[in-house]
Amino acid sequence: MAVSKSFLGPNDKITTSQAAIFLNNAMLGAGILTLPRSVSESVKTPDSWISVLVGGLIAILVVVLMLKLSLRFPGKTVFQYTSAVIGRYPGMIWCLILVFYYIVIAGFEIRAMAEVTMYYLLEGTPIWAITIPFIWLGAYLVIGGIDAIARVSQIVFPISLCILILSYLLSLRLFELDNLRPILGDGLGPVIHGLKSTVLVYSGCEVVMTLTAQLENPKQALKAVLTGVGIPIGLYLFTVIMVIGGVSVDSAVTSTWPTIDLVRSFEVTGFLFERFEFLLMVIWLMQMFCNYSCFFYNSSLGLSQLFKLPYKAVIFALVPVIFLVTMIPQNMNELFGLGDAIGYLSILLFLLFPVFLSLLALMRFGGGGGARHEKS
Amino acid sequence: MLSSIQSHIPSWTVFFQAFIALVIPILIYRVYVRLDNLGEDKLSSSGSANIESSRDPLVADYDDNMQLIKSRIGANSDVVIREVTVGGVVKAALIYVKGMQEDHLLNMRIIQSLKEMDAQIPEQIMERFPGSSAHAVSSATEFSQGILIGFMALIIDGRKEGLLITPPQCPSREVSEPVSESLLRGSRIGFTEDLSINTALLRKQGLSEDLQIRSCLVGQTIQRELAIAYMDHIVNPDLLREVNDRVAQIKLDYIAESGYIEQFIEDNYLSPFQQVQNTERPDRVIAALLEGRVAILLDGTPFALIVPVTFSMLLQSPEDYFERWLPGTLLRMLRFGAAFISLMAPSLYISFISFHPGLIPTELALTIIETRQGVPFPALIEVLILEISIEILREAGIRLPKPIGPAMGIVGGLVIGEAAVQAGIVSPFLVIVVAATAISSFSIPVYSAGITLRILRFAAMLFAAILGMYGTILFFLLIVCHLSKLKSFGVPYISPFTPYRWSDWKDFFVRVPIFLMKKRPKLMKTMQSKRK
Repeated sequence: MAVSKSFLGPNDKITTSQAAIFLNNAMLGAGILTLPRSVSESVKTPDSWISVLVGGLIAILVVVLMLKLSLRFPGKTVFQYTSAVIGRYPGMIWCLILVFYYIVIAGFEIRAMAEVTMYYLLEGTPIWAITIPFIWLGAYLVIGGIDAIARVSQIVFPISLCILILSYLLSLRLFELDNLRPILGDGLGPVIHGLKSTVLVYSGCEVVMTLTAQLENPKQALKAVLTGVGIPIGLYLFTVIMVIGGVSVDSAVTSTWPTIDLVRSFEVTGFLFERFEFLLMVIWLMQMFCNYSCFFYNSSLGLSQLFKLPYKAVIFALVPVIFLVTMIPQNMNELFGLGDAIGYLSILLFLLFPVFLSLLALMRFGGGGGARHEKS
Repeated sequence: MLSSIQSHIPSWTVFFQAFIALVIPILIYRVYVRLDNLGEDKLSSSGSANIESSRDPLVADYDDNMQLIKSRIGANSDVVIREVTVGGVVKAALIYVKGMQEDHLLNMRIIQSLKEMDAQIPEQIMERFPGSSAHAVSSATEFSQGILIGFMALIIDGRKEGLLITPPQCPSREVSEPVSESLLRGSRIGFTEDLSINTALLRKQGLSEDLQIRSCLVGQTIQRELAIAYMDHIVNPDLLREVNDRVAQIKLDYIAESGYIEQFIEDNYLSPFQQVQNTERPDRVIAALLEGRVAILLDGTPFALIVPVTFSMLLQSPEDYFERWLPGTLLRMLRFGAAFISLMAPSLYISFISFHPGLIPTELALTIIETRQGVPFPALIEVLILEISIEILREAGIRLPKPIGPAMGIVGGLVIGEAAVQAGIVSPFLVIVVAATAISSFSIPVYSAGITLRILRFAAMLFAAILGMYGTILFFLLIVCHLSKLKSFGVPYISPFTPYRWSDWKDFFVRVPIFLMKKRPKLMKTMQSKRK
């Protein structure tokens, strides 16, 4: 007879598949619409897909590192264990930077969403009318905790995945292999140069450091994390290949939202929708909602854990803050500038810091890790 | 540097908007918390109004007893008291409620046998009545309640207890086909208003020692019998305890229908979604019990409640399992599609027509616009006119006498629809949309789930009217968020959709062949995982 689990206990743990999808949704956001342009801009050759791939491999390494670090402190999020590693005040400062980073990235995603919506769906609508309901809805979801977010992600992701793949498959008729040639025509230089712009799309993987604490089954954490990182890498790679192959490097660079432009450039006659970019965009709105909710959740969780504040109050307080961040970029160029800045910050914070923190933790607590530390 | 920062500080309007963005959710939250607290009170407010257990025993003296009984229930015009003498010496009285005892022949026989009985040994009286139908009661409260329930009662001089003989035979409806859940294939038996018949129907579904039925009385002024049915060794004990607790907490003077219970035990009374399933079908109840769920039956209503419930269960019909798996699967998917149409179709129409006509194929757009040319209203008003009249028609249809019903359907649906198009108030394309919506909402097997979708459809239309397709997406996300947070007796309402449990998906969108469904749903956390 199986031991019955409690029926009505509070549910703030997530299953392995939920963790994978949660991580996946934290990484899949507006990036898919802009990545082909941003990466082509810096690579300038058709090799951008190699940059994406290499960037992805680096992201996997970093994520695994962050996972190993977090697993030393079972049941604790990054906001709780950092001070144990590097001391109270440095830890707090670092966590505040982390929270700030999450808020900015949430604002960035919303703004990008609003720009796409205003451009394609609701011309002439004031931007606040688009962003505020979106933020409110996010707050409603985030109050439900990680469990609710993971559920919504699990509903939204399969839908958006299907539509995305369908759109790409339909765009195969535009695909020309010549657009992707020559491979490594200018050597490895452009590829390395392009790495920094791929970092932005992979930023978001930092949620691993809070996610690990909420796993129902931490033994499968590695599996969850690898799946969660693998799916976005695959999708990003696929996106870049399809877009560059479909519209060539030159037009990818000049277009604001190259992925949408790719889907826009063909019509499927005799179907209910002749134009798929609309469907893709509508579905991607939902994906961006999940994406933004992840960051909203992480920032409010961080603040409430750092300062022992009530979780709900933090969420309400963050609503206007996120709105203000959303409104700060004055035009698209500044928005993309902000995106680049997030990318650089991301390199600093999340490529270097986990390494540093891991080393420090290794030195201070030895190989055994946090279990012993937990009791002290 | 400083100036560039300065130029990026948003203007006052933005700060004002931010302030609004902060205040409104807080207000909504406050109101929500208030309302939610009201809901908390519903279980605990009326204090401990325990039924007074002061026992007023019957006494040996016949006249005192008669006095007591008469003062309690004797004034009722339907309580019949017939005084007789046992064996011509000892005073006795037969008391019963008119209409509860149909067998007049038996009554005559009882009186006859009482008269012929040997008065010297009253202890033997019990034995002279056939079978187990007679039992002795010593408390006056219990005695008079027994009479009111329908027993024929007897008090005899010199005995300290009353006898309840011949159980009630109160009039009840014949077992008939369930009206709200009729099937083409499957049993035609539905519950009736009589609890004992209903539990008997459950037992008759098949033999099992595990099927447990526990009953209790609910209601404080007027009491009614309520039965909780479950499968021992399958149901999760936590769930059972929770159901018992919630039922025990119901404080109400009278429970007219199982809907009262549903509203008392549900998790979130502010949600538009029902968190308790109701059914008239015994086979459905048994199937649910085997999945590890718990059923609640109430005397006086043919509707049994089943907890917990998830959204997908509301779209399942017993016929899915009775037909072969392929048609069962397709019909079920059709129902999911129909639920989506009945929720979203009008709002999609509004967002396409008034916001994004460029997104539908050009020729179709041209046709629609052509037909809409004479229509003086914006799309929202146009849809509202038709939707509301359909809802009124539907509501009226329930109350129409049977012979007129179809006629009114024709007049209402065809004539008004056609005339509205002719008059140029609505476009013919919209009539198609609204008709498809209405028909779709009838394809949902659980009637009350259909109502939920009907309500939400209007909310969706408002969202679409304000923000077009974006609004529709926001609405969809809102529903998804709400469903993800909702729970029914601790079971997430949206499972088995998430978290992914592939074994539960065998009976979700698709209905795999029965020989593959060897396990009970994991989401119920049953004690046996295999279907033996």
